[in-house]
Amino acid sequence: MRKKSNKKGEILTENIIFLILNLVFLSILAIFLFSRTASAAVLEERYAKQIALALDAAESGMIIHLEMGDALKMAEKNSINFGTIVTIRENIVTVRLRDGAGYSYSFFNNAQITARFDTESEEKYYFVIE
Amino acid sequence: MNKKGDKLISVYWFVILFIVAAAIVYMVHTFYGKPYDVRQIEADLLISKIARCVSEGGYLKEGVFGEDFKGNFGNFCNLNLQVEDSYGWREQEQYYLGVEILKFDSYEKVLSLQEGNKQLKDFCGQNEKNFPICLERSLYSLDKEGNSYKINLISIVRKTEKNVY
Repeated sequence: MRKKSNKKGEILTENIIFLILNLVFLSILAIFLFSRTASAAVLEERYAKQIALALDAAESGMIIHLEMGDALKMAEKNSINFGTIVTIRENIVTVRLRDGAGYSYSFFNNAQITARFDTESEEKYYFVIE
Repeated sequence: MNKKGDKLISVYWFVILFIVAAAIVYMVHTFYGKPYDVRQIEADLLISKIARCVSEGGYLKEGVFGEDFKGNFGNFCNLNLQVEDSYGWREQEQYYLGVEILKFDSYEKVLSLQEGNKQLKDFCGQNEKNFPICLERSLYSLDKEGNSYKINLISIVRKTEKNVY
């Protein structure tokens, strides 16, 4: 004897599975996009190059303020001390937002440059060119 | 309700979804998978710095024909061409700078100086993305006596590994 199926229930289940699959699919895509665009590696490279170019263009006596809100959030997430995110040794700038060596890029300005975390705003770094 | 047709539509829906997702993943990977190429800006900044070092306000700077400038114009212009120790860059210089000063009327060469990796010059004029970035600029300047000069500048930045791949 054939069992009579509950057609209404079947349609509802199919639709729910279809919706869940769609949501799972879109969530995976969103996670992928977020991980690629806002990863620590991308931010490290972006800020290291940005700082190097700003310092290349700088002249003695200047102070450059750089807004680094997204980098600071990433550093906080990875338990990195804010004061050690940007370091300058000789003419090489290194940005570190996670465990590891960070990303380094050289600049050609031979001036004496120091990088300091702005403890007042807690969102900026500033660079003193002497 | 046509159930077979419904199933077919949902299969097509997923096929379309996969195609769209694949396109987005490909585009994101293409854009973010490569490093930011800042060499053009770097070469531009370098050449501007040399130009400001050689000439200011339309006049040649003092000391341009002096021994300090001839001996090491990188130092004279407050430049440090050392680079980070990665990809063997310390053994192979990543910059080349050239300054040429000619008399404006006769095009007689008065001064010609070079600094950095001379081999990089061979790559200029070839439009390959893996090659170093070359930038040439010319400007005119006067000395104190009012003699006019043409100054040709060239700056080349390699740093391919951190800017192309």
